Amino acid sequence: MKHSKYYLQAILATVLALAATAGASARNHAIHNSLPDSTARLDTVRQLYEVTVTSKPPVKTIATSQTLSGADLQALSTTSVADALKYFSGVQIKDYGGLGGMKTVNVRSLGAQHVGIYIDGIRITNAQNGTVDLGKFSLSSLESVSLFNANKLDHVQSASEYASGATVYLQTRRPTCDSLSIQLRNASFFTWMAKANAQFNWKGWQGFIDGEYCSSRGDYPFRYHSQYEDTVGRRANSDIRYGRVEAALFRGGFSSHVYYYDSERGLPGGIVRRLSDKYTNVGREWDRDFFVQASYQKNFLECLLFKANAKYTNEYLRYCTKYPENQNTARVDNHFRQQDAYGAVCLAYMPWPWLSVSSSYDLRYSIMKADLKRFENVKRVDQKLVFAAQMNWKGIQAAASALHQRYSDWTFVQAGAADPIDRWTPAVSLAYTWKGLTARWWYKQIFRAPTLNDLYYTQAGNRNLKPEYTKQLNFGLEYHWSRGQQAWSRDMWEVDLQADIYQNKIENRIVCLPLKGTYTWSMMNYGYTFCRGLNATLKGHYSRGDWRFSLINSITWQRDVDRTDPEDEDMYNKIICYSPTFSTGLTAIASWRTLQYTASYLYVGERMWSKADPEDILEPYHNLDMKLSYTHHIKRTSLGVCLEVCDVLDEQYEHIPRYPMPGRNYKLTLTFGI
Amino acid sequence: MKRLSTLLLLTLYIYNMYAQERIIILNEGMWQSDNGRISYFENGAIVSNQWFRDRNSSKIGDTPNDIIQVNEGLIAIAVNWSNIVQFIRPDGTAVAATEDIPNNRRLCSDGRYVYVTSYGHECETIYGTVYFTKGFVAKIDLSNFKVVATCEVGYEPEGIALYDGRLFIANTGGYAEQEGDHEFETTVSVVNAATMTLEKNIDTHIPNLYGEMSQCGRFLCINSPGDYYETPACGLIFDCRKALEGTDCFVRFNLPATYNTATTDGRFFVIGSAFSYITGENVFASFTIDPSTFIRTKGQAGLEHTMPGTMAADFANMSQPYGIYVNPYTGYIYGTDAGSFEGAGDLYQWSPQGQLLGKHRVYINPGHFLAIAPEDWASGVETIDHSSLTIDHCVFDLQGRRFNGDGRLKPGTVYVKDGRKTLRLR
Repeated sequence: MKHSKYYLQAILATVLALAATAGASARNHAIHNSLPDSTARLDTVRQLYEVTVTSKPPVKTIATSQTLSGADLQALSTTSVADALKYFSGVQIKDYGGLGGMKTVNVRSLGAQHVGIYIDGIRITNAQNGTVDLGKFSLSSLESVSLFNANKLDHVQSASEYASGATVYLQTRRPTCDSLSIQLRNASFFTWMAKANAQFNWKGWQGFIDGEYCSSRGDYPFRYHSQYEDTVGRRANSDIRYGRVEAALFRGGFSSHVYYYDSERGLPGGIVRRLSDKYTNVGREWDRDFFVQASYQKNFLECLLFKANAKYTNEYLRYCTKYPENQNTARVDNHFRQQDAYGAVCLAYMPWPWLSVSSSYDLRYSIMKADLKRFENVKRVDQKLVFAAQMNWKGIQAAASALHQRYSDWTFVQAGAADPIDRWTPAVSLAYTWKGLTARWWYKQIFRAPTLNDLYYTQAGNRNLKPEYTKQLNFGLEYHWSRGQQAWSRDMWEVDLQADIYQNKIENRIVCLPLKGTYTWSMMNYGYTFCRGLNATLKGHYSRGDWRFSLINSITWQRDVDRTDPEDEDMYNKIICYSPTFSTGLTAIASWRTLQYTASYLYVGERMWSKADPEDILEPYHNLDMKLSYTHHIKRTSLGVCLEVCDVLDEQYEHIPRYPMPGRNYKLTLTFGI
Repeated sequence: MKRLSTLLLLTLYIYNMYAQERIIILNEGMWQSDNGRISYFENGAIVSNQWFRDRNSSKIGDTPNDIIQVNEGLIAIAVNWSNIVQFIRPDGTAVAATEDIPNNRRLCSDGRYVYVTSYGHECETIYGTVYFTKGFVAKIDLSNFKVVATCEVGYEPEGIALYDGRLFIANTGGYAEQEGDHEFETTVSVVNAATMTLEKNIDTHIPNLYGEMSQCGRFLCINSPGDYYETPACGLIFDCRKALEGTDCFVRFNLPATYNTATTDGRFFVIGSAFSYITGENVFASFTIDPSTFIRTKGQAGLEHTMPGTMAADFANMSQPYGIYVNPYTGYIYGTDAGSFEGAGDLYQWSPQGQLLGKHRVYINPGHFLAIAPEDWASGVETIDHSSLTIDHCVFDLQGRRFNGDGRLKPGTVYVKDGRKTLRLR
């Protein structure tokens, strides 16, 4: 009976893999981590290893990428996508602390607005400010989280996927069976969370519904201890409650996703000298984000690949400080509404197996409304067109693309709309692979257009802004080695090693600065930065019988300096604020059957937060998280328990000065599944 | 020759024994970063860029916004985002602090009381909490550092000055653009300092009387950055005496006066920029105003587009001019450049003739100054008559407050009696 069960699973996995392959491209999809040879040994009961089905780009190693997927991803002590990304090399997270604190990701010091976040290949956009709060996205429905420096490089990609300095791909998990799971969590600082997930796999259709509700008081203790202060306290106005519901439906080359997020949170300010707790920040924020997206991909005549994307986004944000307790700032109650409609068509042609050429046209229409004084509706049409070519011939891999972007705005704000932006930008990649070792080189130039806030926000916007340009140059080596499970051995090894050195420049940085001799602040193009660095990652997996061990290490060394004004001796060639020179992450996972232990360690070096004084530094910090989980199966039901201890060392640290992060905290999660 | 050289050196030594130039500079720091700092400059050199920390082993707080000398022994500092009015001695040591006046902005004093403008809407007084719809002025009694009276004025009151027993408060209405329930203010409120009652509001018809306001006797120099859209920046010279008399009391000039200061000879040095979000244009100007002539001629004369020496050119070459000040004791001139706002700013020093004497690195956003009297400063009092002095053997604490009787002193208390500091042992 057991035999037939495992056969069934193996056949199911194979069918799924074949279906996915057929749905995309017969040539270009593959099954990694091939099944162990259990099918050859009919008289032995063997555990089947996880099957990961991914769309394999034709020139996979040409792009600099890092991926956390499957068991590794779920093993991390994470509550949001930001928690997973912080273990990637070259990534800096900005986190205002606590569950409700905004979390953005910055890759190789390009700035958060140069990092595109994509769910199933379609970008999450925010025309208003260009940044995405990663705290809003859960890992529970994701198969993998990948970071690509420059482009992902699939055969067929939308033009938007070429349009950011770095790209983070969130790949939704396609269910393989019917299941229902319920999760309850209690965590420190009066945090309660309930989550439910139902998924099905029926006649080629796969889908899930995932819902979550969380409430947290977030009043974590903090301490600032230095030569000039010994401040202890509890974070105030740091509460959050949110609900998230998302559903997805897949069939072959078709995928769709619906997402709704609703939250209310307090906005605690920086911890500054006060004589008592009498006056604290009382501002609050409400968010309601909704999107629905669909993508369809089909192969024609064995040499044509077609893909179409569509998405509608509706976002609402309310910011309120209109409370009697508010003595410190203007009492406002502002409402911001954004709608965004997006469509893309992509076509790839593969005249020979080693060559593909593709093109994609993307059209996005955004409209923003706000009840700010002197603000009118702003509409933006964003068009993108890309021509790309890729080849993979006898180990020689190359890719080139030319992206054209055009932004046009319409508004009745008094200053008028900005002039349209109309630019071409290139990207080129070259690589050569020899016996598992790949050497790669790539160059990418891209800009970010000024956001609607940059251009039109009342008493700050500047319609004369120019785009902010980045130019990236990278050289890297990657080596992959694996030893599959043999009939005579129960061992399985896999090692991935990659190292990239890079150089990037940012020109015309868009920053908010006061104007000479006035009290007014305005968005301006000011600044030029130059960054050189090294990113390295090591991944090792070893399994033997029921045991499985993983080790993931990432290292970042970089020097990110200001090159704005050669005559300014104090600033020129000095390290950019918030940019650590060295950081490293180490994750170790050990599992035996369904018992799993994970320890994650993160070190982030010293960062300047101002250039005025050598004392203005954010101290280095060590962050050690531990997670222990166990799942017990009784027939078709499972019961899981998981204990997480975050910041075991109880380090008091911060990403933003005076915004303390929580110290040691605990999470206990119970999971029931059928 | 040798004797002459020795004499010259001795003279120089004696001259330098006394600190002539003593300037306290408030560095606002970055908002919500708790990095406000005080720099102390003495005789051509920065002594410390964290003077308050050095003296008190604690921070001054977030965004120190104004500093005044209250009397010979006391200085007051408005620390805006910390909601603190901090009192220090001239040597930098902290005396007292109060958070009864949230969102405090600017200060003035008559030596016995300190008057504070506030954008806030509530104030803790000795009579309980008082609430306001608009902004207010609070009166701190220096005998106990408590608020003893308040007076509601316009929305978001900013600059404050004392003349002839009246407080003159420039109202901005600066939250008008965000809050939307009121417009920019155009008035100067006149408040009786003794009774803390509003006597009148003088409408200047100029919106947003925001930022630096300097006083030169009966004259005030007030800035208006306009509304940053249609209404351009400008400034006005305000005559307090005429205001009390009820006659025309102000004359407008169509140049911005973002930063201004009174000189030792009764004029104002002014620098400023006019900016419009519509055109994106930013026009910089520096000039000198003789307020007496300017008022008398109704703006026809008294404004000159000059400054002593190289000052105008030096300001024009700064990245971000952030303050201007004249030492009232010596006439030396100071200006600050905030630079990139991410790094430390610079303090410039000019001679009274406008010759640039030096440039000194301070800290982030250096914007407010206070000169302390030179150590050999003569107060102007030539003779002291002790004939009518009677010794009443009263007991005072170290702040100069009188104790009612010896019986209330606890052992270990340091008190002052008959001019002597004494420790009570039992």
